[in-house]
Amino acid sequence: MKFQPILAAACLVATAAIAQERAMKPESQVKLRKSAYALMNYNFATLEAMAEGKRAYDKEAAGKAADWVANLSDVPRHFFGEGTDKVEGTRAKPEIWQKRSDFDAKMDKMVAEAKKLPQAARADQASLKKAVDATGDACGACHEDYRKK
Amino acid sequence: MQVPVWDAPTRLFHWALAILAVLSFTTGKLGGSWMGWHVKSGYAILALLLFRVAWGFVGSDTARFTHFLRGARAATAYARQLLAGSPPSSTGHNPLGGWMVVLMLAVLLLQAATGLFADDEVRAQGPLAVVVSEATVRWMTRIHSFNEWVVAGLVVVHVVAIGVYQWGLRRDLIGPMLRGTTDAPDAPRVASAWVAAAILALAALAVYYLVVIFPRP
Repeated sequence: MKFQPILAAACLVATAAIAQERAMKPESQVKLRKSAYALMNYNFATLEAMAEGKRAYDKEAAGKAADWVANLSDVPRHFFGEGTDKVEGTRAKPEIWQKRSDFDAKMDKMVAEAKKLPQAARADQASLKKAVDATGDACGACHEDYRKK
Repeated sequence: MQVPVWDAPTRLFHWALAILAVLSFTTGKLGGSWMGWHVKSGYAILALLLFRVAWGFVGSDTARFTHFLRGARAATAYARQLLAGSPPSSTGHNPLGGWMVVLMLAVLLLQAATGLFADDEVRAQGPLAVVVSEATVRWMTRIHSFNEWVVAGLVVVHVVAIGVYQWGLRRDLIGPMLRGTTDAPDAPRVASAWVAAAILALAALAVYYLVVIFPRP
């Protein structure tokens, strides 16, 4: 049973994470995830503009914006605790908690694509565009099902 | 005798709009990097619509709103005859079709206008989203994503109706919209195509101002 320690550790981490989410007020969770999304949106817009040629491609600026998106992409998932769909002003749909595994899978996909941005952004415009397309699609996949219009 | 029923500007407007409406719908559904084309197609549609509204006041007879907008009584009388299978023929829009034209222009204008303020927060932001509040942007985005189905529904009704006239009632409507001429007793007055070109140029300038110059910080 060599998986047991890993499993035990995973359970421990998961419990700790849940405990942390429990401890945090729903309003605070919503505030944190919204802040992360807002900053991602702001930086992704820079990447989008460069990918589409609406703004001149600039390796350094693209790299910086991509770092922001990649680092922030990990943040929201920690602040989707139960009951946070009832906080005023959130657009999170209750379906998130009904289909949590699908939501998490889509979140994983978004994070994975976002993590590819920094390298792609520093390579060239074509790589940036590819990574922007993939990340944008991953973002949109969740909005489609789990965000109120 | 053969008379000019649809002037060249109206026909060009019609077919360009048909192509761009399909393009807009498709690129909007595809999303991703297609959204760049979606936005550009929307600008072109807006310019076409502005042209058509103006052409409805100063264009050829059959293009004018005063020519084809009839009262509710005329429309219901026509509808009854249509249901009986023998609608009277008219040079230009019939009393029901006239209202359909206005309805389609209105929902398309709504679609193009709300698109200017819409934001999907990933790939596409309307050029005027930056000048209004976030609450307004959200409402515009909602209307834009609901109204697309109203537009699609009206397009389906339009195409089905044309099909019924063309093959059910044996009235050739597609031919005149391609050639411009039809068989009728009186020739409607045709306005200058130069005036149409000038109006279209003005409409394009207005859209350019609205989406490029005005929102510039």
